[in-house]
Amino acid sequence: MDLTPNDVQRQILDSVGRILERRTDPQRTRSLLESGQYDIELHADLAEAGFLALPLSGAGPLEAALVCERVAEKAGLITTAATGLVFPMVANKVAPGPVALADGPDKPFRMGQFAKVILVLDGDRALMLSPSLDDVEPVANDRTGWPLAKLSRQALSNAESLGPGSAERLRNWWRTAIAVEAAGVMRGAVATTARYVTERIQFGRPIGTFQTIQHRLAQMTVQVEGVYWLALEAAYRNAEPLFASRAATWAASAAPLVLRETQQMHGAIGFTREYPLHLWTMRLPALQRELGGLSSHARFTAKLRAKQRVEPLTPAIERSTA
Amino acid sequence: MNFDWTDEDNQYRQDVREFLAEALPPGWSGYDKNNLPKYKEDAGKFSQALAQRGWLTQNWPREYGGQEASPWRHAILNEELWPIGEPRGSQYMNVNWIGPAIMAAGTPEQKAYHLKRISAGDVFWCQGFSEPDAGSDLPALRTRAVRDGDDYVVNGAKIWTSHVGTADFCFLLVRTDPEASKRAGISILLTPMDLPGLEVRHIPGFVGEQSFHHLIFTDARVPADCRLGEENRGWDIVRRALSYERVGASHYGRAELILDKVLDEAERTGLIDDPEIQSRIGEVEAAIAASRLLTYRVVDIRAHGSPPTADTNVSRVAQTQALRLAGELAHIVFGEEGLKAHSAGDVRRVLAFSVAAGTTEMQLDQIASGHLNLPIFRG
Repeated sequence: MDLTPNDVQRQILDSVGRILERRTDPQRTRSLLESGQYDIELHADLAEAGFLALPLSGAGPLEAALVCERVAEKAGLITTAATGLVFPMVANKVAPGPVALADGPDKPFRMGQFAKVILVLDGDRALMLSPSLDDVEPVANDRTGWPLAKLSRQALSNAESLGPGSAERLRNWWRTAIAVEAAGVMRGAVATTARYVTERIQFGRPIGTFQTIQHRLAQMTVQVEGVYWLALEAAYRNAEPLFASRAATWAASAAPLVLRETQQMHGAIGFTREYPLHLWTMRLPALQRELGGLSSHARFTAKLRAKQRVEPLTPAIERSTA
Repeated sequence: MNFDWTDEDNQYRQDVREFLAEALPPGWSGYDKNNLPKYKEDAGKFSQALAQRGWLTQNWPREYGGQEASPWRHAILNEELWPIGEPRGSQYMNVNWIGPAIMAAGTPEQKAYHLKRISAGDVFWCQGFSEPDAGSDLPALRTRAVRDGDDYVVNGAKIWTSHVGTADFCFLLVRTDPEASKRAGISILLTPMDLPGLEVRHIPGFVGEQSFHHLIFTDARVPADCRLGEENRGWDIVRRALSYERVGASHYGRAELILDKVLDEAERTGLIDDPEIQSRIGEVEAAIAASRLLTYRVVDIRAHGSPPTADTNVSRVAQTQALRLAGELAHIVFGEEGLKAHSAGDVRRVLAFSVAAGTTEMQLDQIASGHLNLPIFRG
C-alpha cells in the first residue's frame, strides 16, 4: 500500500499540469462551450504526449485515471475518460480520436457530436461505432455543462459488437470513469468555491469566515476526497465490479450535494455565464445520471456486497458490547 | 501509488488473526466490560501477550521497546482489534499517542519509567482533558496547578473521562499560567490515579456504562517531576498527540461488521428485496470503503515520514459518517429489535463517535483551515 504518487506518476501529473495550464483557462473553455466546439487543441496536446494511451503504453489505468481526474478538475472540454481510460481498457487499442459513451440507442449522451468512436451499451452487448455525420445529432441544451448528442435510428446498423462479456466490461470501466471525472469536476467546484468565499466580503468580512460556510465546504471535501480515492482504487483494481460500482455510488451520492452547495455559496453570480462555476457544476447532473445513477450503482453495489461478507476475523468472534 | 498489501502485510494480518484466536479472553464475544477488575486483568494479559510477540508497540523506535515497524502494520493491528471491541482496553491510547508524546517531550527518567511499562503492556492510562466549561474549546481549561516546592497543587475538575476505572495514570492537562493567553498557559502532568485529593465519580450514561467519569482534584499534590515538557508549553505537545489519537481507531471496521449484520437480517426478513434498502446498503458500503481509503491516506502520510495534515480530520469525519450511516440503516432493518439496548439495531452504539476524540464540528474547523485554507475571522 502506497498512496503517494511514485516518480513516474509525479512526472505524468507535472507534465499534464503544464499542458492544462496552457490550454484550460475558464474563459477559453467557456468560449468553446458557447460556440459548440470541442477542445481539439487540448485533446491533441494530451494525445501527442501519450496521455490518452496510458493503459497500453507501459503505464496503466491508474495513471490514466490520474490524468482524467486532473483534466476534469480543470474543466477541460474533451472526453478524456472515455478516450484515455474506458476505450483502451475495453477495446484494447488506442482511440483514434475522441470517444463518447452511449447507454443504449435512445438516451442523450455526452459529447457524441465530436466523437470519432462511440461505445454503445446495448443490453448485454457492447457495440463500437465509427459514426458518420448522419449517425449523430446534437441535442439542444443551454450551452452549459456538456454538449449532448443523440444517435440516429439507423446508427447502430453500422456498429460492431465487441464480443461476449464486453457489455459488463464497458459498464465497469464506465462506472470507474464516472467516478474519476466526478472527482475532478467536484474538486474543481469546491476549489472555485473556496476561492470565492475567501474573496467575497459581506458584513465586513469574507463569507468564508462564517462557520456555516466553512463546515459545509469541509463536509463536501470529505465526500469529494472519498470519491477521489475510491475512483483511483477502482482504476487500480481494473474496474472490478464492486470497486467500480461503489466508486460510482459515492460519486453519484456526492454530486447533488456539491452542485447544490457550491451554487448556493456563490449566490446570484454563480448562475451567470460569465462566472465560471457552471463549467464544473453543470457537468454534475449528467455524470450523476449516467448508467442509471445513484440507485442503479448503489443497488448493484449492495448485490455484490451481499455475496461478499467480511471475512470472519477469527472463528466465532463477534463484536463485544463496547 | 498502489493499493496492494505486501505479502509481509498479508502474512502479518493472518498472524494477528491466529494470535487472536488464542489470546482473546475466554467468552470475548458478549464480554462484560463492566466487571472492571476482571476486565483490567484480561486486557492486561492480552496486552502483555501482544507485547511478548513484539506487537504492542511495534511501530515505536527500538530504543523504546519498539520494532520500528511500518505504520501500515500498526494500522493492520488496529483494524483487527478495534472492530471486535478493542481487547487492549485503554492501552490502545498508550501506544497510539501517550507513549509518542512522552518520547517527544519526556525527561530520560520519564521515558525510562513510563515507556518501559507501556511497551510491556503493564499499565493503563486515561486522558484528563475535558472540563465542565472546556469541551470542544479545550484550551479554555481551568484546572489549576500551582507550583509549591517540589509539587504542583492541583484544584479543579475533569469530566467525561473514559477508562478511569482501569487507569493507573492520567495524562492530565492543567493551567499553570492563568495570565497567559489560553494556549500558552497549559502544562501536562503525568498523574498517578491513586493520588490523595483526587476523587472519582462515575457518571451513568447510555453509550457504554464506563464511558463517563468526573475527576475532582482538591489540593492534590502532583510531584513536579511528573510534568511532561516545559511548563506552560503543554498545548503544542497535546496538539500533535491528538493528531495521532484521531486515527488510532478503525471505525470503518466496526461499520463493516454492522453492515454484515444488516445483510443477514435483511436476507432473513426479505427486506433485501426492497429497492430502497438495497440502495442504502450500497451507499453504506461505499461510505465505508471511502473512509477506509481516507484513513489509509493518513497512514501513508505517516509512513512517508511527513507531518500530520488535515487529512487526519477528513478521515475522522468520513469514519464517523460511515459508522452513523451503518448504524442508522441497522436501526431501520432491525425494526423493533433495534429498540433494545445492545441489539445490532441499537442506534446508541454509533451515536457517540462524532463527539469523542474531538467533535465532528471541530474536525470540520480543522479541514476548513488546514485543507481548504479558508480565512479566520479576527474581529
